[in-house]
Amino acid sequence: MINPALQWLTVRASPPGMLACGMRGPDGKFACHSVEEDCPAGKMEKILGHFDGLRATLYADPLAPRWSTWTFERGQIRFVVRPDGWLLGLMVRSESDAQPKLDPLSNEFLSLQLGH
Amino acid sequence: MAKPTNHPTARQVLFVDDEPDFLRLVQETLGALSAGHWDLHCAGSADAALELLKQRKMDLAVVDANMPLLDGVQFLGLLGKRYPELKKVSLTSFATEDKRTACLAGGAELFIEKPRSEEGFKSVYAMLDDLMNWAPQQGFHGMLRRVGLQDVIQMECLGRNSSVVEVYNESVLGRIYIEEGSIIHAAGGDLSGERALQRLLALPGGSFELAPFEPPPQKTISGPWEFLLMEAARLRDELAAQNVPGEPEVDPHTLAAPTIASVRVVETLICSGLGKVLYEADCADVPGRVLLLKKIARHAAELAQIAPLGSFDRLELKLADGRVIAQARPDRLVFVAVANTQPKP
Repeated sequence: MINPALQWLTVRASPPGMLACGMRGPDGKFACHSVEEDCPAGKMEKILGHFDGLRATLYADPLAPRWSTWTFERGQIRFVVRPDGWLLGLMVRSESDAQPKLDPLSNEFLSLQLGH
Repeated sequence: MAKPTNHPTARQVLFVDDEPDFLRLVQETLGALSAGHWDLHCAGSADAALELLKQRKMDLAVVDANMPLLDGVQFLGLLGKRYPELKKVSLTSFATEDKRTACLAGGAELFIEKPRSEEGFKSVYAMLDDLMNWAPQQGFHGMLRRVGLQDVIQMECLGRNSSVVEVYNESVLGRIYIEEGSIIHAAGGDLSGERALQRLLALPGGSFELAPFEPPPQKTISGPWEFLLMEAARLRDELAAQNVPGEPEVDPHTLAAPTIASVRVVETLICSGLGKVLYEADCADVPGRVLLLKKIARHAAELAQIAPLGSFDRLELKLADGRVIAQARPDRLVFVAVANTQPKP
């Protein structure tokens, strides 16, 4: 199921200003796509893996966020977790074309047919 | 034509005029009036004046507006470019409104008629001496690019400064009053208080200036500035997310952009960096929230190590019917939860 994920990331989740994006499946496998040289796919894998450390806390009731956005000086990282276990990570540059697309992409990911 | 007094504290005053008789009168009368307090330097042309300026730093240049070749207005402009710190005054025998406007626009701080009597010279002396006593405003003067209104207010609050931030665009003029680091009042259009502050900070475009503090007509805001700014940031982000092309027109009375979602704050917690509670409202589990904020701080620091995005600013959680904003910095931890309510017109 990683191939459809990678295809979606490459085709849909790479507007200008996207630095890197990636998914982690329920089976623990990663599909990451790098758009900029200083954000290689391996870095996105590391970021997704890192998010797992906080996932349980953030997604505990009653918060249960639809997604979380970490804002830094020069960009944002968006994490979206689906009930079926899929995790999406998007890293965008501040004030880029990609930034306003974070919400539509997150919603699209939540309704995407990815399987288990 | 200079008669320096060699007094170490004497003001250096340069007169530029093509009438030798007038310059002689200046030396005699103003020299006597200043009683050694001024060093008078006289130049009969722009060239001679520039030569004197090369030799000595002047405190003031008094320029005849009607000189031949390079007229006074052009010369003022030249002085402004070469010696931006030099104070300049324009003198004329025939004052007209057009000439006055041109000289002041050219950088003259005063535009005065040539004195023709002893009383007139006394008056001119007093004006010029007073002008040289004007101290330049303290602080920096310059331009900062890509520094937002919110950043400036934050700096004023963190520095515990007092000032009035004037915010304006084509249709809106608002004021935000900061006293000793606390936002105490905001007004704009028909609004005042927190609502005015939020709307001003959420304006889609415009300019702002930092003016010296003056007491507001009333004090309408008392909350912690961190919370006020975060709530305003959230409102602004919501507007940006609506993706309105260009700069939407803002209602000058309500300061409202075309659509603004309305929210209600349901939980607030502000702590010191060590987790000591500074402000709390409707927070059911303070220790739990403090623990969460500390975890967020730790994870944000680790993420910042991996991602090439600079330092961490805030975390935003999108909930089913609202959102949470969490800020974790070495000196403070902030948690604000808001719930969506019915949009207001």
